[in-house]
Amino acid sequence: MPARPITGALLASELALQFRRRRTWAMLLALAAVPVLVAVAVRVSSGPPSGRGPVFLDRVASNGLFVAIAGLSLSIPLFLPLTVGVVSGDSIAGEASQGTLRYLLIAPAGRVRVLLVKYAASVAFCLAAVFVSALAGVLIGALLFPIGPVTLISGTEISPPAALGRLALVAAYVSVSLLGFAAIGLFISTLTDVPVGAMAAAVVLSITAQVLDSLPQLEWLHPWLFTHHWLGFIDLLREPVSWDSFGDNALVQACYVVVFGALAYGRFLTRDVLS
Amino acid sequence: MTTRRWQRWIPAAVIPVVVVGGALALPLRAGAEVPLPERSPQEVLALLAESDVDTFSGTVEQTSDLGLPSLPSLSGEEMGLGAGLEVLTADHEVRVYADGPDRFRLQVLDERGERQLVLNGAEAWTYDFRENEAMRVTLPDGAKERIESRLNELKSEQTMTPSAIAERALAAIDPSTEVTTRDNVRVAGRSAYELVLSPRYEDTLVGSVAIAVDAETGMPLRASITARGETAPAASVAFTRLSLDAPEESLFTFSPPAGAAVTEKTLSERTPSGDSAGVEARSGEHHVTHEEPTVVGSGWSAVAALPAGSVPAEVSSNPLLLEATTPVAGGRALSTALFSVLLTDAGGAFAGAVPVEQLQAAAAAR
Repeated sequence: MPARPITGALLASELALQFRRRRTWAMLLALAAVPVLVAVAVRVSSGPPSGRGPVFLDRVASNGLFVAIAGLSLSIPLFLPLTVGVVSGDSIAGEASQGTLRYLLIAPAGRVRVLLVKYAASVAFCLAAVFVSALAGVLIGALLFPIGPVTLISGTEISPPAALGRLALVAAYVSVSLLGFAAIGLFISTLTDVPVGAMAAAVVLSITAQVLDSLPQLEWLHPWLFTHHWLGFIDLLREPVSWDSFGDNALVQACYVVVFGALAYGRFLTRDVLS
Repeated sequence: MTTRRWQRWIPAAVIPVVVVGGALALPLRAGAEVPLPERSPQEVLALLAESDVDTFSGTVEQTSDLGLPSLPSLSGEEMGLGAGLEVLTADHEVRVYADGPDRFRLQVLDERGERQLVLNGAEAWTYDFRENEAMRVTLPDGAKERIESRLNELKSEQTMTPSAIAERALAAIDPSTEVTTRDNVRVAGRSAYELVLSPRYEDTLVGSVAIAVDAETGMPLRASITARGETAPAASVAFTRLSLDAPEESLFTFSPPAGAAVTEKTLSERTPSGDSAGVEARSGEHHVTHEEPTVVGSGWSAVAALPAGSVPAEVSSNPLLLEATTPVAGGRALSTALFSVLLTDAGGAFAGAVPVEQLQAAAAAR
């Protein structure tokens, strides 16, 4: 059964293609710039008054490790969905518009496998994006600010290595948060041959979901929105760790992955590939 | 060809339907019957009185739907009046850890921060992450011993059995209140009896008060108040998770993090309890003035009254309060599903679980 090696080779070539593109690097650089900007801005100014601004922004000056978390929480509403939307929205529609989708499907791979590989590449980008953002935050924070014991939001102090562990948890949480959105982007991408349209639609959808999430009149809808738990990573910074939102978030994202994965499958298998 | 295309859509259509159906059906399981041995209301009350659980950890959810406008200016940062209103209008998730009667930790999980109350013997800490402010409250020397000896005294005096307490309590409230049980419930994964107290007269806004009593330990697991004529509770406090194991030792020691502003406070004998930085700032009147309110009437329709001139002008002209209240004859009123507050033009205040008209009548009778 040659299925495994082919999937592996397909995934490897897809990942190589993905991370060799200049666009991917530009987006990762932009994401890395967010925590750098935050750190520099706090360094040159006196910082916001306590209790205002994004989570942890007011603590950045006292501890460099907060830069990574402040940077992530700034990137979550717009920059991360923007870049993930570009990658996942482009995944099928981009190939279709360039006329390469046909050749991809001529290989004895099957459409399901192409779809899976495309989604895997989007997921890889999600992981890379969050990792780069967190890493840039830690590095610039260590460079510009003192590193010391970190105060969790329950008032408990933990050592810097333990804090890095918490940061890894937060990064995992944020990566998981993006999985559902990447599946939505993939589905939109199977609908059209115009990649820009798919990207824009995906990004607009993420913003719409966040707007709906902020309307108190739609409270019944909130737990079902894929953006609802995006900022819930704060529960990982409590002592003891509250895993509830991690579980809820993972469940919601899994539902979105399954539903939109199935829709993408239905659409992609029935569509006529003309170009 | 068209049939094949149609068939290929089947898995794609079935999966979303299953997921959405599952998501909708899951909450329905909560309505399943909970089998427990039959108990009369009095027996359940005795079970409640018998309960001596003081070691547990759990998560409590407080929700309120009082029909108050959710004020945009209430961001949870306001202290005093704002914090009081915030408790009333917003929902909260609180983690509670208790180990014995004098070690206790409470964490109010805010969306973007956390507020703490740590009690360990004669020392108590409050900490607000967003403000980065800690307060240490110490009980005066000897106070702890005095409280303990008084407690022991009470215990030795108290020769009544739980069932006797339940009987007396029932007899005391019977003229005004009907006590019944309704279908058993599951709260925080535990089976519980539900005790329902309903006022016998219709002159109050309260429709019923329900208390879920853990079948195993007698611990109250949920309390909810439903307004008259409503089916969903207007306010409820419930455990969503509960473990009776002893919490981790380290939770009860607190040292303020570096960089936090720390204030020290030693409680004098007069102050009944520490002000926990808005965590328990609930009763509006007590914040406004230290004058003791008088109570008019009895039972469910009792009205608490403060004499004219006891509400300072800066409180009654507070923009937040002006936003929350509406002008009525004789002053301004705050009207919710469960209670009403009337601030008279003369600076008096009336509050009770009654409609505003009854407060106006009480004010006019003065």
